[in-house]
Amino acid sequence: MAASRGRRLLWHGRCWFSQTESGVPSQPPDSLYPPIVASATAKSKAAKRRRLEHFNQRVHAAASIEEKLRLYGQLQRPKYMLYPQTFALNADRWYRSFTKTVFVPGLPPRAAAAAAKAPGAVAPEAAETPAGAAGVAPEAAKAPEPGTAAPEAAKSPEVAAAAAPYLDMGELRSLACDALLQESFYQNKKRPFLYRDQDHTPGPFLTQLVSTLAAFLCGRNPLLAASSLDLKPEVNYYWHHGEEVVVHGHRKGRVDPVRFQIDDNPHLQIRVPKQLPEIVPLESDLGDVPVIDHKPSKLPLFKKQYENKVYIGSKVADPCCYGHTQFHLIPDKLKRERFVRANLEDQIEVVYRANGIASLFAWTAAQAMYQGFWNEADVTRPFVSQAVVTDGKYFAFFCYQLNTLALTVETIQNNPRKNICWGTDSKPLYDVVEDGSVKGFNDEVLLQLVRFLLNRPKEL
Amino acid sequence: YPLFQLGGPQLRIFRPNFFMLAVRPGVPQPEDTVQFRVSMEMTKVDIKNYLEKIYNVPVAAVRTRIQYGANNKRNHKNQRVKKPDYKVAYVQLGQGQTFQFPNLFPDKEQDTETRSFDDFRNKYMEREKQRQKGDPRRGGVPDWFGL
Repeated sequence: MAASRGRRLLWHGRCWFSQTESGVPSQPPDSLYPPIVASATAKSKAAKRRRLEHFNQRVHAAASIEEKLRLYGQLQRPKYMLYPQTFALNADRWYRSFTKTVFVPGLPPRAAAAAAKAPGAVAPEAAETPAGAAGVAPEAAKAPEPGTAAPEAAKSPEVAAAAAPYLDMGELRSLACDALLQESFYQNKKRPFLYRDQDHTPGPFLTQLVSTLAAFLCGRNPLLAASSLDLKPEVNYYWHHGEEVVVHGHRKGRVDPVRFQIDDNPHLQIRVPKQLPEIVPLESDLGDVPVIDHKPSKLPLFKKQYENKVYIGSKVADPCCYGHTQFHLIPDKLKRERFVRANLEDQIEVVYRANGIASLFAWTAAQAMYQGFWNEADVTRPFVSQAVVTDGKYFAFFCYQLNTLALTVETIQNNPRKNICWGTDSKPLYDVVEDGSVKGFNDEVLLQLVRFLLNRPKEL
Repeated sequence: YPLFQLGGPQLRIFRPNFFMLAVRPGVPQPEDTVQFRVSMEMTKVDIKNYLEKIYNVPVAAVRTRIQYGANNKRNHKNQRVKKPDYKVAYVQLGQGQTFQFPNLFPDKEQDTETRSFDDFRNKYMEREKQRQKGDPRRGGVPDWFGL
């Protein structure tokens, strides 16, 4: 038809519209005239709305997930690059505002809830979680659960003794100490090169520890047996949040969404074929999201234009498409000693929190996009992942629940959902390694790590 | 002052010949950020030490940039006149301190005398304007136009 051919030629200049329009509804048979709609090429707000609507329909109607991701990230424009491991001050507050995340200190009371459900501790799987609850009850701040955990505490010592064959702390402790001593004491390594300390000892120790623990706990957690352990994978996510006016250039004066991209390289990652269960219901509200009223570039944050990538660590066709746990290693630039020397002790925890929030948001959101959700089609079930951020000695544990992907200006208006991140402060795993032995080993940290690895959906 | 030997008491204080000017930021800045115009030869370390040692201000981070002064204006001889370059430093304060640039020209509250004088002046100006305009029944046509 002449009208549609003319439309295609007119739109050819914009990269969005190089294909024929498929979103035009067919004429109802009873009307003689075509439907009266706003122009698609005029320089007007109605025309812009119609073009956006057409783009949304194209993404909704995409045939496969790869096609959907390709259309979602097709238009390249300058965007802010977010680095999960950053030296910027108070970065976790900014990242919470960009990702609409609520930070709750302490880990969620999943283990204690399981203990409350199984009072007699009959089932062997439930037996190890009261042992974990007894170990963790003094640890993090879990307000509702101590009341129910206290009557359990009387029963749990004998339950813990009965659960000892199931969760042998001695065995796990020896595994961890072996890995640590092998990397730092027994193996003859040359002195590390300048600023390569983290790759020298803590990196290999973390890899060894996680692989041996995962292999050891395979029998207890069948999900780990079907999991995939990635070494130094790549995780990317691209999203829009908020609006700004373009300052320089040929597009000066136009209102644009603020684009962000996270390109993260965790040290290790465990991907599983089944999703972890939700921690709290989808619509829960556990706190407030900080509001930042000035431009993101004051963080400091810089803009660049390159490929808009969304990636979880494997391609879409991989069966292990859900995330389980990520392990991050703090680089040499962000070590504790440097912050202490610069009188910035309060920023040490900020580094861990910012890393946890940004990496986990990118991972869970990319997992959600792999299932076909995006900011116009919000998630119908929450996506949960865990992360451990460490610098070799100090471990901090994070848990993230993605409740919403709708962060753009139009979709955020009527969206009461917020993403939630639980996290702990960093605790040392050991005090010092000398003379072939590990002094001051902290069992609680190891127990928390083991509990993270044992996390699995209820059906298994 | 006695001659200084290594390890002896430091009795003289040397102050640098730099000056830092705190300015109001042109664009909104985060609460803990203060904007300064500093000498072109100062570095980030210099700025940090200057504020910490002389003014006891805890500094967490400093970022600097050099603002180029334009060279477009022309004087009466058509020579280009350059506006001088200057260095801008964005200082983030430590220990959770915040800073808001004060409003140096607040509106003075008016007492009855100035208020009544202002009212009288406004009324007088309105009356003068009305007189200049002429008869409103003529619809803006000047009074010399006619038979």
